[in-house]
Amino acid sequence: MLLARVEGNLTATRKHPSFEGWRLIICQPISEAGDPEGVPQVAIDPHGAAMHQRVIISSDGIAARKAVGDPKSPARWVIIGIVDEKEAA
Amino acid sequence: MRLGTVIGRVTLSKTVPALIGARWLIVSPFTREHFQQGSDEPRGLSKDPSLVVYDDLGGGVGQTVGFIEGREAAVPFDQPTPVDAINGALVDQIFYNPYSK
Repeated sequence: MLLARVEGNLTATRKHPSFEGWRLIICQPISEAGDPEGVPQVAIDPHGAAMHQRVIISSDGIAARKAVGDPKSPARWVIIGIVDEKEAA
Repeated sequence: MRLGTVIGRVTLSKTVPALIGARWLIVSPFTREHFQQGSDEPRGLSKDPSLVVYDDLGGGVGQTVGFIEGREAAVPFDQPTPVDAINGALVDQIFYNPYSK
């Protein structure tokens, strides 16, 4: 699981059928201090995260397949929660 | 899913039976810098290594695709398949707004 910030979304007409109807959100993994770390990942969003909100994304494929309801979906990254506040170390 | 630009295609004359007839794309993955250029700018090659992606959506050279890496890439297949990257979406439009403190 990674702490990430929502930095955009994308549209795709041709996609795996299991992504039909799902928001595809560009999530930039961030460090503890909030600085970008690594490559943005596109995650499906069952929670309705807003632009620049901090979220937790998980790479658990089993959870992603359960979320989209298709046991043959290649879905991997899924937003599993929206961060309210984060305590500094 | 990561995004990348299709920079080429691969054809195989001899493959494992599960992959006969498969379509393959060479994809140069986006880094954070690619997103920040905006969608109109020409996107150069990435510093990250390019990879070969299984494609059943019909992506072409120059298109932006979203590809899934890892174990999940083999999930859509009926039989065990040695695939670790699959094209999940042909991207039409990207809305990107980087966060600045």
